[in-house]
Amino acid sequence: MAELLTPLHDLFFYVSELENSIALRESQYVWAWLLVAHIISMCLFAGTIIMMDLRLLGVGIMQTPFSQVQRRLFPWQVAGMVFSAITGAAIVFADPMKYYANIIFWTKMVTMGLAGLNALAFHYITEYTVVDWDARVVPPFGAKLAGALSIVMWANVIVAGRLIPYNWFQ
Amino acid sequence: MESYFEAIAAWGISRAINESAWIFPVIQAFHLVALAVLAGALLMVDLRLLGRGFTQQPVATVARDARPWLIGGIIGMVLTGIPQFISLATKEYNSEFFRNKMLFFLAALIFTFTVRRMVAFAPEGRFGPTVGKLVAIISIVLWSGIAIEARLIGLFS
Repeated sequence: MAELLTPLHDLFFYVSELENSIALRESQYVWAWLLVAHIISMCLFAGTIIMMDLRLLGVGIMQTPFSQVQRRLFPWQVAGMVFSAITGAAIVFADPMKYYANIIFWTKMVTMGLAGLNALAFHYITEYTVVDWDARVVPPFGAKLAGALSIVMWANVIVAGRLIPYNWFQ
Repeated sequence: MESYFEAIAAWGISRAINESAWIFPVIQAFHLVALAVLAGALLMVDLRLLGRGFTQQPVATVARDARPWLIGGIIGMVLTGIPQFISLATKEYNSEFFRNKMLFFLAALIFTFTVRRMVAFAPEGRFGPTVGKLVAIISIVLWSGIAIEARLIGLFS
């Protein structure tokens, strides 16, 4: 197992030695504003995702058909995702070794991957039949499942993100 | 004034939160989950006022759908914010960022439940699109201000 992770360790270590990484790590203000920007981008991304999930669950935003909720929020979700990814990558770039050794960080990364798979599965399976349930007050089981999984996973991403600096499992 | 904050920090429950290794971090984490719900409920309506998002529905319809999540989000923020505040009361008293955050919060609450509410729930056409856009921009600036100041409390106080 340890040997399998060596290339990853080497990559993180290599980045941590780059001049720009060291400069970012030591710049108190740029680093702080990256964290601020990451929170704001989280609001845009998670906010628009959760509103769509509430519609999938059939508990909120019920006066707009699902397909419209999805289509109209999609550009904002993508913008939030791009902005979050850029600020998040810069934060890791600034101090890679802090994150490499942090199990909470990797929990966040894995949960993001699973949330992405959930979105893809929904898109290719349940959303295929959207015309049948678009405006229905009670969405089908598949839609509710996708919405519930998405809320739980993204909430877990947010929680793990906040807990990274408290790494209790050193 | 400072003595009140010191008294709050000395409460048994405030000290208990501080002495635990995980209570404060977990409360912080759920503060952010509530923030995401609140942000979604706010953005839905602000985007609609800007002429984006759910443009096939009237603004009032979108605002009515967002309302329980807006109020629920604010309640969640306050419930997870109070334990953080009491455990750090003396630090917060001295923090410029905390004071700014509370001022932004007060302004955002008043604005959201007076002007923004009136414009969002008005019959269509009562206020022009310019008023709606202005309201949305002020709303986004005020609520973002809270989040920005809040993040800075933890970094620089």
